[in-house]
Amino acid sequence: MNQKKEKDLDITIKSTSRDLLAFMKLSANRKKRFEKASSDPIKSDPMNELATKLHPIRQYLVIESIKDETKTTKTFRLVADNESGTNELAYFRPGQYLSLKVNVNGIEITRPYSIASSPKDTLKGFYEVTIRKEENGFLTSYIWENWKVGTKIESSGPEGFFYFDRLRDSKQIVGIAGGSGITPFRSIAKAITEGIIDAKLTLLYGSSDEEDIIYYNEFKDLEKENPDKLKIIYILSCEVVSLEGCEQGFITANIIKKYCNIANSTFFLCGPQIMYNFVEKELIQFNLPLKRIRREAFGEVKDVLDLPNFPQELAEKSFKMTVHIGEVTKEVPALVTESLIVAMERAKLAPPSKCRSGECGFCRSLLISGDVYVNPVSDWRRAADKKFGYIHPCSSYPLSDIEIKVPRKKVN
Amino acid sequence: MNITDSKDKNNRAYDAIVIGAGNGGLVAAARVAMKGAKVLLLEQHNLPGGFASSFVRGRFEFETSLHELYDYSTPENKGGIRILFEDRLNIDADFVPVPEAYRLIVTNPDEKMDVVLPFGVEDFIQAVEKEVPGSEDSVRKFFQLGKEIDEATTYIGKMRGNPDQDVLLKEHTNFLRTAAYPIDDIQDALNIPERARAILNAYWLYLGVPTSRVNTTVFAAMVHGYILKGAYIPKMRSHEYTSAIEAKIREYNGDVEYNSKVQRILVNKGKVMGVQTNKGEIINTNHVICNASPTLTYNNLIHPKSEVPEIAFKQINARTHGVATIVVYMGLDTTAEKLGLKDYSYFICDTMDTDQLYDSLINLEVPKVQATLCLNNAIPDCSPPGTCIISITSAFRPGAWDNVNPEEYFDVKTKIADGLIENFEKATGVQIRDHIEEIEVATPQTFSRFTGTYNGVIYGYELESWDSIIPRLQSMNDEKYIEGLEFCGGFGKRGHGYSSSLKDGETAALFTIQSLMKEGVIK
Repeated sequence: MNQKKEKDLDITIKSTSRDLLAFMKLSANRKKRFEKASSDPIKSDPMNELATKLHPIRQYLVIESIKDETKTTKTFRLVADNESGTNELAYFRPGQYLSLKVNVNGIEITRPYSIASSPKDTLKGFYEVTIRKEENGFLTSYIWENWKVGTKIESSGPEGFFYFDRLRDSKQIVGIAGGSGITPFRSIAKAITEGIIDAKLTLLYGSSDEEDIIYYNEFKDLEKENPDKLKIIYILSCEVVSLEGCEQGFITANIIKKYCNIANSTFFLCGPQIMYNFVEKELIQFNLPLKRIRREAFGEVKDVLDLPNFPQELAEKSFKMTVHIGEVTKEVPALVTESLIVAMERAKLAPPSKCRSGECGFCRSLLISGDVYVNPVSDWRRAADKKFGYIHPCSSYPLSDIEIKVPRKKVN
Repeated sequence: MNITDSKDKNNRAYDAIVIGAGNGGLVAAARVAMKGAKVLLLEQHNLPGGFASSFVRGRFEFETSLHELYDYSTPENKGGIRILFEDRLNIDADFVPVPEAYRLIVTNPDEKMDVVLPFGVEDFIQAVEKEVPGSEDSVRKFFQLGKEIDEATTYIGKMRGNPDQDVLLKEHTNFLRTAAYPIDDIQDALNIPERARAILNAYWLYLGVPTSRVNTTVFAAMVHGYILKGAYIPKMRSHEYTSAIEAKIREYNGDVEYNSKVQRILVNKGKVMGVQTNKGEIINTNHVICNASPTLTYNNLIHPKSEVPEIAFKQINARTHGVATIVVYMGLDTTAEKLGLKDYSYFICDTMDTDQLYDSLINLEVPKVQATLCLNNAIPDCSPPGTCIISITSAFRPGAWDNVNPEEYFDVKTKIADGLIENFEKATGVQIRDHIEEIEVATPQTFSRFTGTYNGVIYGYELESWDSIIPRLQSMNDEKYIEGLEFCGGFGKRGHGYSSSLKDGETAALFTIQSLMKEGVIK
C-alpha cells in the first residue's frame, strides 16, 4: 500500500523541464552570483569589538592615588595605563572582581579583588580596590611596600558571578559582610544610589572593632542620600562598643531577624570562610531556599586541613609534580597543603588563574597521572571534566607524585 | 614575519594543523590523527567544543547550545553520527533519546495552536491529521519527498559527489525537481493546508531562514530525518562527547593546545606553509583544516593578504550570514513535574509566518519566537533532585546588536531575557520566575567572546536554494583557493548544525588524508 503511494509522488513546481533545468543550473548560477558580488574585505566585527570591551583578556592599569581607609586597609584607585595599551576600562556588574597580577621577586601570582567603585566610575576612567594587609601576608606585605602612585598593575577583565540579577533575586537585598568582604557592597551600594540597580540594600557588616570598619563615613553619606534604599548595621565583635548604632557580637540569627525582612530578601554573603561557616549555620533556622543565599567565592583556602575528608596523615608531605605547560616540562615540588596553582606559581611557571576558588575554570588542566584531593566545597568542575581527568589546580591538592598538562595563559 | 622564517628548522612542524576545536575541528583532528599523521589542534579557548560545550553555575551544569542531535538514531539502526562516534571514532560518551519531537505553541488569536508532535513518521502524520483534518495525504507526500531527498543525497555521497546523471533522472526525480526551490513552493505544490504547514515548519528556527527562502533539499530532509530517526542528546552535556573526542586525539598522539589562537595562516604562492599563533610562534605545516569560517579566515587569517584571491571575498559577500542567538539558561528550584512541564522541546511563536518572524529578528527587541528546552524531560537526573533546567533560545540577525554599548549591554540582555521568560510563561501557563535559582544569559557577544565567531553568528551562511548543500557540494573542488587549506564546520559544505559540522569535519579530514597519502607522508 505504502509502496504504491510512494511511487505516486510526482512533484512539479513549474514544469518538469523547467524544474530539472533549475537544478542543472544551480552551480552555474551560484558562480554567477559570486562573481557579481563585491570583493571588498569585511573590516568590522561589532560583536568581537563589544566582547573585547566587556571582557578584555588583560587590562593594563596604573595606580592614580592611594587612600588610607583604616590602619590596615588602603583603597587603590586604578586608571588605564595608556602607555601599555589600555585606553578604556571594561564596564562591569557591581559585585564582580578583578584578578590582579603581582610580581613578587620574580614569582608571578594573581589575586581576585572585588571592585569597590561603581560601574559609573569606570566610565569616568577608574576602578577602586580596597585591600587589607594580612598579618604575615606574603603578598599584601609586598603590596604595602611596593605599590605607589604610578605603579603599573596588570589585571584581568571583570570576573565573577557575585552580582544582583533582577530576574533571579529579590529587590530586597541583605548584604552580609565580614571584614574586607565589605568591598563589593560599596560598589553595589553606589550602583543602587546611581540607579543602576533597582533594589534596596540592608547591610549587616561585621568587624572586629570600630577601627576596623572600612568606608564608615562614606556609607553614612550614602545612607543619608538614600534613606529608603540603604541601611547599614555595624556588628562589632570586640567587648566594648561605643560607636552609635552598632551591635555587639556576631551576625546571629537574632541580629538578622531584628533588621531584615527574612522571607522576602536575597542574602549576599562576602567575607572570610569563618564568617560563612558561622552565618550559614545561623541562616539554617530560617529554612530559606538555596536561591535566596548567594555567596562570593572563597578565594585562597587558608585552613586546608579543616576541609572535609582531607587526608591529615599526608599533611606534612611534599610530592613531585611534573608540569607540561606549552613547550616546557618542569618538575616542581608540591606541598600537600598547598593548591597546585601555588606550587606552580612558586616554580615561576605562571599558570593561568583568576578566581582561585575552583569556580571559574580558568586554570582547568589535564591530570595525566597521580591523585589529587579536590576541595569538595569548591568543586565546580563539569561532569565530563571529572570523567576525563580534568582538574582545577586552584582547588586541587597533591596526594601522590603527579603529572599535569596546563594551558598557557591567553594573550591578547 | 616573512615566510622563510617559517622554514626555520627550530620551528615545530606537523603533518596537519587543525584550527579550532569546534565540532568540525575535533572530528577532523581525530580522523587525521587516527591515520597516523602528526596533528596539532589549536584552540583559542581553554575548552574543546566551540558552541558545543557546557558551563556550571551553582549546582547546575548547562548545555550551551545543543537542542537535539540529528542523525544519531538507535543502536539497531544507527544514524550517521552514531556510526561516526561509535564505529569510526569509538569515543566514550553516552547519548539519550529525546522523548517527543516538539510542542508547538502559536499564540496569536488567528493562528492559535498548541500541539505536541511525536517522533515516528506515521504517528506524526496522524497527530497533524488530528489537529488539521484532511491534511494526511499531503503531509505524507511531504515526508515521502524528505525520504527521497535523503536517498538521493546518500547516493550522491556514495558516488563522492559524481553521481550518474541517468540514475539521478530515473530514480531521484523528485529530489531533482525540488532542489532549486524553497520549501513554500513545494508545500504549495503539495497543497498542504496552512495549519499543517505551520506544524511541519516548526523546525524552521534550526535553519534560521524563512520558508519562503529556505532550500527544500535541506529542510525537507531535516524534518524527515528528525521525525524518522528521533533525536538524541549527550548525557553529560556536549562537553562530554567533545572531551571524549579530544581524549581520542591525544590517544593517537595528536597534540591539543588550548588558549592558543591562530593569528595567521602563512601562505606562499598559493600554498599553506604554516601558522603563526598570537603568542608569536610559527609552526610549520602544509595542511591546515580550518574550523573558523571563510569569513574570518579570508578576511583576517590568511597572510599575506595578497594570497587571498578576489573570488574568496566575493564568495563571502554574495552570501548572507545566518543568525546569532540569545540563550537564557535557568536552574530552577522545583521540578518539571511540579511545574507541569511534560515536554522536552517547545517552539513558541506569535505567528508561523516565518518571513514576519525573520524580519523582526533584526530589531533589538524581545523576539516573537523561541525554542525552549526542559532538559530534565530527556535526562531526569541532569540536575539535583528537586530542581530542573530550562533554557530559552531565540535568534537575532547579525547587526541587531551592533550598536549596543558596554554600559547598556547588561540591561539590554536582561530586558530581552525577561521578555522571553514572560512569553514562555504566557504561552504555557507555567510560572517559572519565582523558582529561578541560577540564571545566565548568553548573547551574540557571548558567543563571539568564547568562540571568536564572526559577529556572534552561530549559524553558517544562509541555506537558500542558490547556495544550498547541493551546489556547495558540486562546487567544492573548484572553491579550494589555497593549496593545503580545507574548511570544516557550520560555515561549510553541509551547512550548520551539530551533525552537519561533525560530518563536515570528517570530509575535510578525508581530503587532507588523501593529500598526505599522495605526498607519501602517511600510508
